[in-house]
Amino acid sequence: MNRVLSMFQRWPFAFAMLLCAVLLLINLMVSPSFVSPGRIGTTLATLAPFVLVGFASTPAILAGGIDISVGPLATLINCVFVAVLIPAGLGNWPLAIPLLLAIAMAVGAINGILVAVVRLHPVVATTGVLFLLIGASLTIAKNPVIAPDNWTRPLAGSIGLVPGAVITLGAAALVWFLLKRTVFVSNLRATGESDSSAYGSGVNVTAIRVLGYTLGGLFAGIAGIALSALLQASGSSLATTYALLGLAAAVLGGTSLGGGRGGLLGTFFGALAIYLLQQLLTSAGVQPNLIEFTYGLLLIVGVVLGATLLSPRISRRTA
Amino acid sequence: MTAQPSVDAALAPARSRDGLWSRTRTLVLQQPILQMLVLAVIVAWLVATVPGIANLRSATALLIIASLLALAAMGQTLVVILGGLDLAIPGYVIFGAFVAANLAGGQGWPVPVAFLVTIAVCGGLGAAIGYLCHRLRVEPLMMTLGMGAVITGGTLFLTHGNYAAAPPDSLRALAGVTSKTFSLPIPPIILIVAAAAVLLWLGLTRTPAGRSLYATGINVRAAKLTRINTTAVWTIVFAASGALAGIAGMFIASFSSGWAQSIGEPYLFSGLAAVLVGGTTFGSIRGSFTRTLLGALILTGLSTIIVSNGLAEAQSRIIYGAIILMVVALYGRERHVRDRF
Repeated sequence: MNRVLSMFQRWPFAFAMLLCAVLLLINLMVSPSFVSPGRIGTTLATLAPFVLVGFASTPAILAGGIDISVGPLATLINCVFVAVLIPAGLGNWPLAIPLLLAIAMAVGAINGILVAVVRLHPVVATTGVLFLLIGASLTIAKNPVIAPDNWTRPLAGSIGLVPGAVITLGAAALVWFLLKRTVFVSNLRATGESDSSAYGSGVNVTAIRVLGYTLGGLFAGIAGIALSALLQASGSSLATTYALLGLAAAVLGGTSLGGGRGGLLGTFFGALAIYLLQQLLTSAGVQPNLIEFTYGLLLIVGVVLGATLLSPRISRRTA
Repeated sequence: MTAQPSVDAALAPARSRDGLWSRTRTLVLQQPILQMLVLAVIVAWLVATVPGIANLRSATALLIIASLLALAAMGQTLVVILGGLDLAIPGYVIFGAFVAANLAGGQGWPVPVAFLVTIAVCGGLGAAIGYLCHRLRVEPLMMTLGMGAVITGGTLFLTHGNYAAAPPDSLRALAGVTSKTFSLPIPPIILIVAAAAVLLWLGLTRTPAGRSLYATGINVRAAKLTRINTTAVWTIVFAASGALAGIAGMFIASFSSGWAQSIGEPYLFSGLAAVLVGGTTFGSIRGSFTRTLLGALILTGLSTIIVSNGLAEAQSRIIYGAIILMVVALYGRERHVRDRF
């Protein structure tokens, strides 16, 4: 028993992974069809924006802050693409992808500057930006605009044999994988663990924080593209839903809100667990309201377990 | 998200220099003078540009809307002073609205029982959150998010899609635009919120309980070492947040004579905006409900101006965001890492 516990403590995402495995098994028993070759593309496409928004909230949390505005940023990118770029004739992928990602990273960098340079409390800064982003999305496209046929459609289906969502998720994972080869990620974790210690050891805490939020913006931009692929329309009303779901995925995946602990793999399993739970309850014919109820319960249980059984150090509050 | 007390680095040197500017700055930081000025400007603007606003009816309506917002943000103010954030507000508001409309209105429950049920359920769940968060040392952000989903989901399930019921007349008389208090032409809800504001002000500034709240918010460990029962503070504050938001939900449903699934969400973000615009920041000694009240009045006046200029909800969100960032950049800046060794 102790060995199992210490395994959980070494890998913070082990709990989410186990949960995923169990939920996947039950899912396969209830409705085996949702991973069949014909539907795997759609299944992954529904999952992708959700996982990517989870990714987007992770770097900020690792750096000891929090970013509430990533969900609205993803929907803003979606609205900009569908309601601005395509009508303006800039909808081709060689033009649109750099533009969208640049906007997303700029918003991320603004968050970072507000937190690290202006030194606002992360919740306050990103709440302010959240208002700005929701307002901007509503200004651009208050009612859903239907997108004409465009290059994002295969990203929600499949390109050849490869499901399109593998590309969006893979792009984000590749960026993270490459960054892990550099000193950036360890500096990010060090800043989150204790910013004064990191500062004392010569880490440029301000720059690391700004870059962390910018990276979150990049992931949110990819999430916006995946969202456009899935919806093929502008969905400005999804903003607040995604804002909080992304945070939930990151925390369920073992990323500690205190900072410094966790990673993208955990977030992936956290998002997958929430998705599989929704899938299971939906296919079992449970009312949407009870799904929300169960999801809240899962979140509370996950946080409590993470804080008691699965945490190596119980006293983690730095006040 | 560590609850660093946002002490203004500029405050200490400002006292030693005795220039007019630094004294003004200290005063502005310690008293909500700026908020009062902004409110005065907004009121003047409203009277000058919106024809027909300066009659009793529309002034009352504006005050009711501001009171409801302030009431929903009352618990959040206390939680923010404690250094946390309550994301379960929409759940509490929905539960309160459900009790007011479906149970008191539809099932004919007596109004006092409805109030007691709301306070017991929302307060109880809030107390559980506060206790767990403090004992397990987890951020209240996630716990309240989960609890919000649980309450919202559970309440909507109990509703069975029945949104047709309206709160009973006795409740609507408390929050209607034309209702009177003892033949005064002011609806009771405004007076209730005003009385609550006075009581809370006295409680926060004049009692040991208020002192314990501020002390716990600024530094939990230090507070514990001075033998403040910090577990009790956390439990009571989160319970109060739940109960107050639940009551606000009952009044919101009574004011709009009914409710819908999405009734709670705006009160989370606008409520937080009211707290922040008022100048209360996380774990801060300067936080108070008086400030939130000013914040709620400012935001209500502002959204009236925005609507009367033909701008939509979208633009008002943008202006809210810009105002939050500006006000907090003025007040709530944290210390640089190099000053925190």
